[in-house]
Amino acid sequence: MMKRLTVDELNLEGQPGAFAGTLMNSSADLVTRVCAGDSEAFRLIFERYSRPVISFIFDMVNDRALAEELTQETFVRAFRAIRTMRRETKLSTWLFGIARNVARESLRARARAVSHIELTDKSVMDLSDKKPVPVDGVLSKELNDVIRRSLAALDEDKRLVFTLKVLHQCSYEEIAEITGFSLAKLKTDLHRARAEMRRRIGAYAGVGYEV
Amino acid sequence: MKSENYEELLAEYLEGDAAAEEELFARYDRELQVPAELWASVEERIVPVGTSSVKWWLRVAAGLVLTIGLGFLILLGRTKVDTIASLKLPEQQPVIIQERAVALKPGQSIKRIKKPIVADNPGVLSTDLGFDLEEKDTAKHIEQTENLLRSIRNFPLSDTDEEIDVTYDKALSRRLLIENVVLRRDAEMKAKFPTKALLSDLEPLLLDISNLPDRAKPEEVRAIKERLQKTEIVAALMDYRDSER
Repeated sequence: MMKRLTVDELNLEGQPGAFAGTLMNSSADLVTRVCAGDSEAFRLIFERYSRPVISFIFDMVNDRALAEELTQETFVRAFRAIRTMRRETKLSTWLFGIARNVARESLRARARAVSHIELTDKSVMDLSDKKPVPVDGVLSKELNDVIRRSLAALDEDKRLVFTLKVLHQCSYEEIAEITGFSLAKLKTDLHRARAEMRRRIGAYAGVGYEV
Repeated sequence: MKSENYEELLAEYLEGDAAAEEELFARYDRELQVPAELWASVEERIVPVGTSSVKWWLRVAAGLVLTIGLGFLILLGRTKVDTIASLKLPEQQPVIIQERAVALKPGQSIKRIKKPIVADNPGVLSTDLGFDLEEKDTAKHIEQTENLLRSIRNFPLSDTDEEIDVTYDKALSRRLLIENVVLRRDAEMKAKFPTKALLSDLEPLLLDISNLPDRAKPEEVRAIKERLQKTEIVAALMDYRDSER
């Protein structure tokens, strides 16, 4: 089961360097401590947010090694700029904003090398099979692969909005803050992204789904 | 919604069920782990601000020490040159002739003995004679230039002359021009600004004389003569020599 970006679910008790009371480890407290020069607090931030950040970056760049590299860059930039973070900003939103910029820079750099998978791409369409769908706790490797490929085939803006909304359960306000998009644009992008994802996944399931 | 059957879940998702979408993507596994060494890489790159500022000050201090050291070495090099220059042997001391008074008997003639007596020991080197080779070179250069300019200024010109042979003056001017450039640069480096200014004034004149044809026309020579008079450069050279004495 995929871990979600829900800070409340995390229990830091017993982890090295963590304070006994989770109240003292709220994101705001951690940020205050980092600003005061406590690097241990930044390690806690890393432990708390590294998984959602690396997942988000992976969703954006679709490259494991690159995602690790960009996660590193994201946290380095976050550490350097943490004093500039506004008090009213949620730490997760702020980190996703940095991650988004880092991923976007990387995507721009390799824009020519990236080959987008078209809607009619054979690699997606050929994944359709008639075997029974597994019924254990996780999706089959093939379905995971289809989701990954389908995500990668979305254009950058749609992928960004879809990832944040559907995979990371961010609110529209948070997505708007992370992306800088207007509410209207991100709703449109999300609607189109959802339709495209259904079409691709439908092709895998052998369902002739039309947008 | 909690579905164990993926066919059903997929079908519901494809029909547009929001809950099915949420569940399907919640089960999406990227097979992604945060590598243990990732924090180490981040930690390596994040240097506490305090340490980095100390490092910055250390760098500044190192830069200052280096600059002072280099400056000291340059000064030391200059002092050495001055010392070597001042160690040059002075010109030979003048010989003093002493005459002895001798009591003579009548009819007796004597040979005069002239004994040279050296006033100072020439083998002893003195560093505090205030002797500056470059200043002497400059003085000699100024004197030679003055002579050249005087000779041109005083050159009689008549309207009947068709051509004037200035081969010698040209050659001399060329040599003096090269010397002038070197001395001017030295004067500039040693911050001897009056000397530098005078030598700078000389340069265009020497250049013009050097560029005269071997057999110059009277108007060309006359132009230089007029410039010499107008700029009163010869007087300036005389003043300089007087002030240096």
